[in-house]
Amino acid sequence: MSRISIKIVGAQGQGVNSVGEMCAKGLKRAGYCVFGEREYMSVIMNGHSSYQLEISNEKVRSTQEKVDVLVTFNHHGIKKDLKDIKENGILIHQTPQWKFGEEDQKFIDVNSIKVIYLPTEDILKKLNAKPVLGNVLITSVVWSLIERSSDELKEMVRERFGHKKDLLALNYLCIDEGVKFSGSGSEKVCLPEPDEKWKSQLLITGSQAMGLGAIHAGCRALFGYPMTPASPLLTFLAEIQGESKMLVKQAEDEITAVQMMVGAMHAGTRAMTATSGGGYDLMTETISLCGISETPAVIVLAQRPGPGTGLPTWTAQGDLLMAVSAGHGEFPRAVMSVSDAEDSFSLMMDAFNFSEEFQIPVTVLTEKQIAESLFTTEISDQKSVVRRGRLVEGDGLKLLRATDRYDPDAPDGVSARWLPGSDAPTYCAQSYEHNADGSFDESAENAIAQAKKRMKKMEGLKRALPEPEYFGSENTDVLIVSWGSNKNAILDLIEDESVAYLHYTYLWPLKTERLVELAAKAKKTVLVEGNVQGQLGMLIKQECGLEFNERVLKFDGRATGLSNLNLSVL
Amino acid sequence: MTNSKKSAGISMKDYNCKNQCTWCDGCGNYGILTAIKRALIELGLAPHQVLICFDVGCHGNMSDTLVGYRFHGLHGRVISLSAGAALANPDVPVIAFGGDGACFSEGVGHLVHAIRSNYNMTFILHNNGNYGLTTGQASSLTPRGEKMDMAPLGTVEEPLNSMDFVFSLNPSFVARGFNGNISQLTNILKSAIYHQGFSYVDVLQACPTYNKFVSHEYLLEKCYECEPMNFETARKAAVDTSEKIATGVLYQDKTRPTFLDQLEARKGIDSRLVDEVKKVDVSALLAKFS
Repeated sequence: MSRISIKIVGAQGQGVNSVGEMCAKGLKRAGYCVFGEREYMSVIMNGHSSYQLEISNEKVRSTQEKVDVLVTFNHHGIKKDLKDIKENGILIHQTPQWKFGEEDQKFIDVNSIKVIYLPTEDILKKLNAKPVLGNVLITSVVWSLIERSSDELKEMVRERFGHKKDLLALNYLCIDEGVKFSGSGSEKVCLPEPDEKWKSQLLITGSQAMGLGAIHAGCRALFGYPMTPASPLLTFLAEIQGESKMLVKQAEDEITAVQMMVGAMHAGTRAMTATSGGGYDLMTETISLCGISETPAVIVLAQRPGPGTGLPTWTAQGDLLMAVSAGHGEFPRAVMSVSDAEDSFSLMMDAFNFSEEFQIPVTVLTEKQIAESLFTTEISDQKSVVRRGRLVEGDGLKLLRATDRYDPDAPDGVSARWLPGSDAPTYCAQSYEHNADGSFDESAENAIAQAKKRMKKMEGLKRALPEPEYFGSENTDVLIVSWGSNKNAILDLIEDESVAYLHYTYLWPLKTERLVELAAKAKKTVLVEGNVQGQLGMLIKQECGLEFNERVLKFDGRATGLSNLNLSVL
Repeated sequence: MTNSKKSAGISMKDYNCKNQCTWCDGCGNYGILTAIKRALIELGLAPHQVLICFDVGCHGNMSDTLVGYRFHGLHGRVISLSAGAALANPDVPVIAFGGDGACFSEGVGHLVHAIRSNYNMTFILHNNGNYGLTTGQASSLTPRGEKMDMAPLGTVEEPLNSMDFVFSLNPSFVARGFNGNISQLTNILKSAIYHQGFSYVDVLQACPTYNKFVSHEYLLEKCYECEPMNFETARKAAVDTSEKIATGVLYQDKTRPTFLDQLEARKGIDSRLVDEVKKVDVSALLAKFS
């Protein structure tokens, strides 16, 4: 695959993200598939942050370790990221009179790196423009470097600032200055030929796609408490509440958020909450409550590295076992994981449907890498339908008895559910062990009957969940198994290598039939995960006894990239 | 709350339940159970028209002793659970019951923010000054120095002044009742359920088994009925219980908008969240990302 990488680095608050997003949008519109990855520190100002764009005319979903162009806002970026530049790559920096150290100069010489100094301050002073306009100037320089027309850039700033004439004029001037500056040099980066098909696709983050997926699935309320990397989802749904008419509530803590969600679900709407590991810890007692009271619930768990406060703004897959076993006692539940923007959208309908059909808590895992990355993607989910299982409404209410609510003999353990306010016999949604109408019952017979009833739901749920998805050619020697964001780097890899990939979206209950069948044919099985223990591997071993030949485990807070998939292992 | 759907001919037997009551003899909960049933009947609400939520504690066993849609949830969390339900379907009045342990220790944060948010729901505090169901530990409302189950040598913490605390949060409805005056308590509960906003009802009750410092007789002697007052007078009357204890609807602000009423995104929308669950076409929102 022919791809170009551009990395923009600087202090937080300097405009790294706006340059990255502006370039990404322009390139997608010009007919490129763009993948944007954001890295930053857990501070508001001055931490080192980066925005890396991968650009291709073919599908691209992950970043490379080395980049073609590095744009730095400050000298820290030069020192820290210089060695990420490929041979014959380009460095654009904005630090006046910068002298490279001996080692850096040697690296530049050996790798024939072209160094461009952009006198941003001088140019802005000349234009009498505020520092923030430096972002447009830099974007314009990058734009010229990749030989795109400045009209495309002007169109984008017009969309954004069209209503502010003076500001728009100044933006245009900055673009022109950027073009003029670049015109003076001979350095160019050659992009592959664009492909029209990308123009009609969307450029969207996992969080935005997930938010729209929730709205699409009929979710009418969001209760949340801020926590990275769930916050972008919370904020996005808050931003668009005027259009979605969704009820958005910032609760006083995660326990409140999950309790309000459960109350709203019990009343009969579709509601959700979203948090990260620490917040999910606080929610677990309520997840257990959903287990015994058989209340549907949807919880998004956006993973970052733990334990404790961990690495708040980095990525991880360390919370799978927690999601599978969270909460005291034994009860049925589903755990599923998104991998990109496309399934961040589509999986929300699944999550709500399974939670209502089986009257269980459903945890949807995402990761900082998915939540905050920009994907070029198609999103079309018109086939999906809202399924509410054994929810009784209308005429069916007349036939109900109170003892139908927790009827231990219900087929598949899924008993009728009806909503407060319905003209029907009433029941108690009970946190205590209860009998068929929700009354207390501490007898041994009842405890067995109700526990069996609840756990029976896992059998039907397991049947209903799809098998893991298979990618790649038939009869390949190497079978990679993974979940979550790793899919992106793995799919980028298998386009070039003859390996096969089995991707787990539905993680609990775990289906292993297809895996066992494929593993038997493969010469080598490789587990790829973003955690220390190989948590999916542990679940797989527990469920079917399969052990992997190799494990690629990454737990440094960084996403699995192409370079992590060591070909010698494969 | 929709009183338009008043059901005719509702009587005590509609709320009676086949299950046995398991409270101690002389427990204040019997009086509260009678009062809530009477209040619902007098408001014309049939069991299927309400959602009654319970915390965990002796009071929570009421979930087994009356009919109606009920949710008996976790310890300390009843206010948040009820608030979620009340927001999702304002047509079904939500009544939450909790004890002083659940409300002023485990879940005190939820009370603070529910009062601030002014969710349209009723919270009824079973105030017996201790943790009954776990056999008589001190709550944060137990007087200092009392010898309790986990403090056999006497508690050393200052008790929380619950009424001063509640008034400091600028509530829209505060009432105090006593389980020994069921007809007054019935009227208080009716007003609380009818109030648009968060209704806080402190019900003083005897706990003959574990509370040796405030008896039924003591409350009978001290409690007196009063009419609603302005904020400052009500606060003073509620806080000062040295000579006598003011009961009744102490304070009510009928003009305060509820949380839901104030949400810009929900203004002008007649449907309830529970009626809106359907697949939504998001193409227009998706188009913003092209």
